[in-house]
Amino acid sequence: MQHGIKRRQWTKDLLDQKREDDEKKIASYKSLVKSMFQCRDNDDYTYEAIELTTNLLDMNPEFNTAWNYRRDIISSIKTQLDLGFWKNELKFTMIQLKKFPKVYWIWNHRVWTLDNFPSQQLTIWQGELTVVDALLELDSRNFHGWHYRRMVISKIEELSHSSLNKKEFDYVTSKINKNISNYSAWHQRVQLITDMLSKDQITDKVDFIKKEIDYITNAIFTDAEDQSVWFYIVWMVKFPTIRALLSKEDYSNFLRELKDNALMINADEVDFSGKENVWCLKIVLEIEIIQRLLCEPIVEAVSKDYLEKLIKLDPLRQNRYRFLLSKLP
Amino acid sequence: MVVELLKEKHIEYVKSLDSKTETLEYWLSEHLRLNGVYWGLTALCILDSKDTFKKEDVVDFVMSCWNDKTGGFGPFPRHDAHLLATLSGLQILLTFNSIELITKNEQKLEQILQFIRGNQLEDGSFQGDRFGEVDARFSYNALSSLSILGRLTPEVVNPAVAHILKCLNFDGGFGLCPGAESHASMAFTCLGALSIVNKLDLLSPDQIDTIGWWLCERQVPEGGLNGRPGKLPDVCYSWWVLSSLAIIKKLNWIDSSKLSEFILDSQDDIKGGIADRPGNEVDVFHTVFGLAGLSLVGFHDLVKINPTYCMTYDVTDKIPKYPY
Repeated sequence: MQHGIKRRQWTKDLLDQKREDDEKKIASYKSLVKSMFQCRDNDDYTYEAIELTTNLLDMNPEFNTAWNYRRDIISSIKTQLDLGFWKNELKFTMIQLKKFPKVYWIWNHRVWTLDNFPSQQLTIWQGELTVVDALLELDSRNFHGWHYRRMVISKIEELSHSSLNKKEFDYVTSKINKNISNYSAWHQRVQLITDMLSKDQITDKVDFIKKEIDYITNAIFTDAEDQSVWFYIVWMVKFPTIRALLSKEDYSNFLRELKDNALMINADEVDFSGKENVWCLKIVLEIEIIQRLLCEPIVEAVSKDYLEKLIKLDPLRQNRYRFLLSKLP
Repeated sequence: MVVELLKEKHIEYVKSLDSKTETLEYWLSEHLRLNGVYWGLTALCILDSKDTFKKEDVVDFVMSCWNDKTGGFGPFPRHDAHLLATLSGLQILLTFNSIELITKNEQKLEQILQFIRGNQLEDGSFQGDRFGEVDARFSYNALSSLSILGRLTPEVVNPAVAHILKCLNFDGGFGLCPGAESHASMAFTCLGALSIVNKLDLLSPDQIDTIGWWLCERQVPEGGLNGRPGKLPDVCYSWWVLSSLAIIKKLNWIDSSKLSEFILDSQDDIKGGIADRPGNEVDVFHTVFGLAGLSLVGFHDLVKINPTYCMTYDVTDKIPKYPY
């Protein structure tokens, strides 16, 4: 699997050069593989065998059988290994991850190392949070990074018997403030709010939700182009807990104001660039669905009109809009 | 801009893959070899050229990847077994009408069933092997494997399904585990798994519509599909997104002719093969998923692919339907 590697035309000279370079590397790689399998099949569980896997994994971090063998060796000679060994093991995976941040097997081995770390489990996992902070600083949408962060957090919570939800909420807020299109952070915001509400960790829930409404209002006025914030807003509009917590009047106002704001942003964009904002139109559709569901009086329903517009404005997805049109009452 | 599908070139490209032993990349990718063979073979099936691979050689190779200690297949001889490679091995055997090498061999069948079932965890999820990595991909691997073997059981299926449903997010996408961000590849693994065990009806019509919405928003103006909001398009999502839309019967929610253009434009018109996007280096992974995407939208005379199994219908017709 290769991603993002530019195609190049191989001339005969280049090919010959590559073949020559590869020849030596292949020979040493194959001999390492052969020695490793020999050791493994002879149940060789020694420190030297670990070093053999190090050399092999340096050449090929995707060789999961080598990682497996490495773990089996470590497990069987655990009592002979000091703290320095475990620290080095973390260093080893870190060096590897810097080179190959998308290789699952390295992440797995790092988790295994941390899980088996012989002392100070909590401190070790807390240190890991700094690592993942740095990683997400470099690449704020890194899929492995966010997954890893959730795992690290849940380990720390488990070991410290405390919840990090509030701290994490501040963290995702700062990530979104830095880049409003960070969908990974919006996703995590949903997870955190859902969890905080269900665990009763928010003192004044209504106040919290109202602040959240202000937050998204601000967000759409800042950047209404990107789909991230809109998916989040759809969640807010539809999430039953939020509807249940707000008074009927507050919830109706929330929908109405959101609709007005979306229409206003859209009108501004039409004035400014002559183009409609498709996401403003889409959110209005969602709001009207809810309003109909709640039997709210809808002043000037626009769904039909907007769907017909969207068929033209967003032709890639025109069949979805036709489907929604067919479902309108 | 490449506008034709270069069928002959792709066949030649896939054929050439096994002769690249003088390149370092060939040896460094042993851990993906069985998957690679499945990708190549399925690409050939879509191009109606299965016989380009010599059946006996390929079947022998698959059986040489069998891991006698644990049961299951490794990706290469002597490598450890893993659910990822195990599914590829079974897919290849089924394609070459050789699945009986496992199903008619009592000891191997017992071992492989134990290997697959043994990796299911208490919450219904699956780990890829004994080292505990959990991922919805492995649920798909396990259920698809058991299905090919004709050995799905409610004891395995029901908890697996319960876990998969927990991977569905608020936005209509699926994550690799509960709480993980939506990713298009996970839509395929989760919907595919539900489809294999005939449990799609556990999703409400509203949920299906939301899933379809998130999926169709993956199409970007260039015509290609991305895997998450704000990401670049990539040919492999032609499969992950499109198969998912096909499974929920909303294939027409994206513009398939624009997608076809994007895939065609990602071909290498000199040596064949398809890349992740126009101008990039090709590989067999993007080649098969590009072709599979084109097959799903009914491109010319390509052999029809089954969106649930990612194998052509002539192959999947042999799989018994669950519940038995």
